[in-house]
Amino acid sequence: MQAALPANTGTSEVVVVALEADTAAAELRWVRKAQEADSSAFEKLYRAHIGRVYGLCLRMTGNPSEAEDCAQEAFIQAWNKLDKFRGDSAFGTWLHRVAVNVVLGRMRKSKREQDRIRAVSDVAPVRQTVADDGELRDLEQAINELPSGARHVFVLNAVYGYSHGETGSMLGIAEGTSKAQLSRARRLLVQQLESGHDERD
Amino acid sequence: MMNEIDDKKFEDELMAQAQKLSASVMPERDLWPDIERTITASTKRGRSAWNTVWAQAAAVILLVGGSSGLTYLTMSDSEDATVPGIAETPVLVFEQASADFGSQYTLGPDYQDARHGLATQLDERLASLSPEARAEVVANMETIREAIDDINRALTEEPDNVLLQELLIDTYRDELSIMMQVDEIMGAAMRRGDI
Repeated sequence: MQAALPANTGTSEVVVVALEADTAAAELRWVRKAQEADSSAFEKLYRAHIGRVYGLCLRMTGNPSEAEDCAQEAFIQAWNKLDKFRGDSAFGTWLHRVAVNVVLGRMRKSKREQDRIRAVSDVAPVRQTVADDGELRDLEQAINELPSGARHVFVLNAVYGYSHGETGSMLGIAEGTSKAQLSRARRLLVQQLESGHDERD
Repeated sequence: MMNEIDDKKFEDELMAQAQKLSASVMPERDLWPDIERTITASTKRGRSAWNTVWAQAAAVILLVGGSSGLTYLTMSDSEDATVPGIAETPVLVFEQASADFGSQYTLGPDYQDARHGLATQLDERLASLSPEARAEVVANMETIREAIDDINRALTEEPDNVLLQELLIDTYRDELSIMMQVDEIMGAAMRRGDI
């Protein structure tokens, strides 16, 4: 087994690969059980993914309470749609797609997004996302103040590592639009962070 | 020019920083209890809806059983017009997995035989009805059979659609109901004639 790996592959990398394979296999077992209406298996999936799903919802909505509602709704929808999950992508990616749809759907249905933008200056920095590092804290706050289109693309692409193709597919926009929105987000973030630095100076 | 280079460098640093942000953020409260409550309720509702389908299927079985019993009475020799015992009543079975009736279940062969028998009798007995009554029965049967065809076509596209399956059962029940009514009316008329 190890002979097939590249020469510079260390033991720790082999262990990580093995662990990931175990995790993926275990996750697939949980998915199959959950597809048979086993809610305890679904709870395992929830425990494994809630952090990333909630993090995504939080950064997309910029509101902890709204993010909780979205994350909860995403898991409920995932449960109801589990029979449609065929394993073509990782379960986590599929779950993220469900969560993004929930967030976008809720934003379309309500005026909360507009309210959020208007109220953003009154909202305290999102405590759960704030890193200890001051620069990261500033970045979190700057992301939170981006217009929704640019923010969604930036979060999916820059924070969660999805390609422009995947990001566009999740958000229902063209790949080129995703690239344009990322460029816009970067520009706006630079402006915000620079002005923040100037104010402090 | 220098500014552009600085901006580009700053943007690149920004992207590198973004990758350092933790993708995983835990909510302040555990969302699982609410999720579990909802999915458990929805699972129960799903099962309940499925039970309703089977209850309707059972109703059709009883309906056909009753109709067949009536047919038996009507068609059998008048000197032996006793009610058949339960054991003699045709047993109608729903069979699993056939494309004829959604993906979940289909009408069994006994049901199909009974339905075919009633339909044959209906054609014979229609001739005995008044022109108005005959026209009304024929129109109703045509409407129902068109509906059955439409629903079956829809089921070929959505074989797992429970609502369509329920609708099909209801429509078959309507068809049987009309056939039974004609059967009953004409059977009673024949028996009165015998007296």
